[in-house]
Amino acid sequence: MQPGPSAFKRLKRQLLANPLDGLITVVVLALLGWATISTLHWLVFGADWRVVSQNLPLYAFGSYPADQRWRPFLWIALLITLTLLTLLGPSRGWIRKALPLVWIAMVPCGVVLLAGGFGLLPIPSHAWGGLTLTLLLTACSGVLALPLGILLALGRQTSLAIIQRSCAVYIDVMRAVPLIAVLFFGQLLIPLFLPMHLELNRVLRAVLAFALFLAAYIAEDVRGGLQAIPRTQREAAAVLGLSPQQTLWLVVLPQAMRTALPALTNQAVGLLQNTSLMAILGLVELLGISLSLLANPDFIGRYLEVYIWLAGVYWLVCTAMALLARHLEHQLSPQTSAN
Amino acid sequence: MMPAIKAAGLVKSFGHGQRALDDVSLHVYSGEVLVVMGPSGSGKSTLIRTFNGLESIDEGHLEVLGIPLDADHDERQIRRVRRRVGMVFQQFNLFPHLSILDNITLAPIRVQRRPRKEAENRAIELLTQMGIAEQASKYPAQLSGGQQQRVAITRALALNPEVMLFDEPTSALDPERVKEVLDAMRSLAKDGMTMVVVTHEMGFAREVADRVLFMDEGRVVEVSQPDQLDKSKRWQRMASWGGQH
Ligand SMILES: Nc1ncnc2c1ncn2[C@@H]1O[C@H](COP(=O)(O)OP(=O)(O)OP(=O)(O)O)[C@@H](O)[C@H]1O
Ligand SMILES: [Mg+2]
Repeated sequence: MQPGPSAFKRLKRQLLANPLDGLITVVVLALLGWATISTLHWLVFGADWRVVSQNLPLYAFGSYPADQRWRPFLWIALLITLTLLTLLGPSRGWIRKALPLVWIAMVPCGVVLLAGGFGLLPIPSHAWGGLTLTLLLTACSGVLALPLGILLALGRQTSLAIIQRSCAVYIDVMRAVPLIAVLFFGQLLIPLFLPMHLELNRVLRAVLAFALFLAAYIAEDVRGGLQAIPRTQREAAAVLGLSPQQTLWLVVLPQAMRTALPALTNQAVGLLQNTSLMAILGLVELLGISLSLLANPDFIGRYLEVYIWLAGVYWLVCTAMALLARHLEHQLSPQTSAN
Repeated sequence: MMPAIKAAGLVKSFGHGQRALDDVSLHVYSGEVLVVMGPSGSGKSTLIRTFNGLESIDEGHLEVLGIPLDADHDERQIRRVRRRVGMVFQQFNLFPHLSILDNITLAPIRVQRRPRKEAENRAIELLTQMGIAEQASKYPAQLSGGQQQRVAITRALALNPEVMLFDEPTSALDPERVKEVLDAMRSLAKDGMTMVVVTHEMGFAREVADRVLFMDEGRVVEVSQPDQLDKSKRWQRMASWGGQH
């Protein structure tokens, strides 16, 4: 914290306290310098970024028909606009009030834009891909998993023994199974439970599997939030004549969700990253499309460029999500700021 | 005078062991202020909490505003009682995620189904009487303890209760904040509210109570008029502990 010479002195004291520390400092600095220089050298002279620059539409939209690409483009543009509006827009007024609803509406909006119908040309799901598919998988799974997770958390707290036990078993089993196994089971098992004529496409099966998996984790986060609410809050609500349902909706859940929000943010970011597992199942989301590009003879061996690019894109989206979540936390907690 | 609360032979024990209430009988009359005193663990909270069904009794007869709350009462009876009986807790128990105004209007809007506008006007009116109207849009954590407790009283009053229960309403407050809450309760008593008040505030008891009830080990051990208090052994003992006159 202190400026100038004293900070320098402190550094010197910490890093060069005795000959051994001094030696370690020198070696570490040398390694860092060497790594930086060789990375820069590779970035400028070694890398060939055409694998990225020539394929931007593929990364964004996958093999979506070129004349229909305005649809996923529009959806992503809306998401970006909404993100900017949420983070930088006016802090009150009707726009602010409408934002939550518009965010939720983004999910069906994305599905319709991608799938077609309502006058739009239907596009089969195997043509969806790239960042669009990554975002859609994340949004749909998240939106399904959240209410499911809340129900599971509440189920685990009820006095009805059967419900309580089955919710607990479901949560424990899901948390004991690796995600990739759930995803494989989802692709293979979900069709078995459905009537013959109703064939779910792969994207929908993936979304369902994701949501079922994630709900177990969300349930645990929400349970943590529920347990953090003192019994006296329920008493205060009961004394005012609120019914148990009203107490739950108006007093308990709002507070529990607020407490669980940081944990839920982690889940959302994790969800986005985990959608990359779908590449193994043959979905061409962001990672999937990259793998197929790497298989293209024109770009053979350009792993480093592609993965650096991928890391950048994931980082950008995750950062946006984290910023949105922090914003939401801030919005929801005026009561913690004593005046 | 009509009894608002009739209790006869109340018994309550938590699981095993000693009885928290042991054969308690009393009447609280309409318009009366009954102050309940006694050492820690003597059953004061348990008693007052039976009056709105927060604790159920094991034996005895209990009737609040004509509604029976005996051991076999059902949830509907409790809710009927709660709609007419307000309660204020030691720890305020405001809803931290709601503004002061929303704390107060929540039950009038959701339970009594009153129009929002009307409920808000009534809330502002009550807050003005309490002297904290300018806090309406703040959140509980932004208020002092005394202000929060006055909001809690307002929240209970917004339902137009016929009886108000207070469980040590000033015990969690800084000494300099106690007076503002006691003043609010004093003016409530003056308006003829039926009140049961668990408190250690001797000045309040002497000045405002119609009767003072002493409990010990789950039993009612003494009932005094305020003007006889000085003759009471228990009162003298409390005063000698550094009583707050
Ligand atoms: N929920 C509970 N579970 C178990 N025992 C309880 C419970 N509530 C109260 N008790 C017991 O019942 C007895 C009476 O408690 P109560 O809270 O009514 O006393 P009090 O007079 O209000 O005391 P204080 O002045 O400390 O608030 C005590 O022995 C207490 O330990
Ligand atoms: Mg008590």
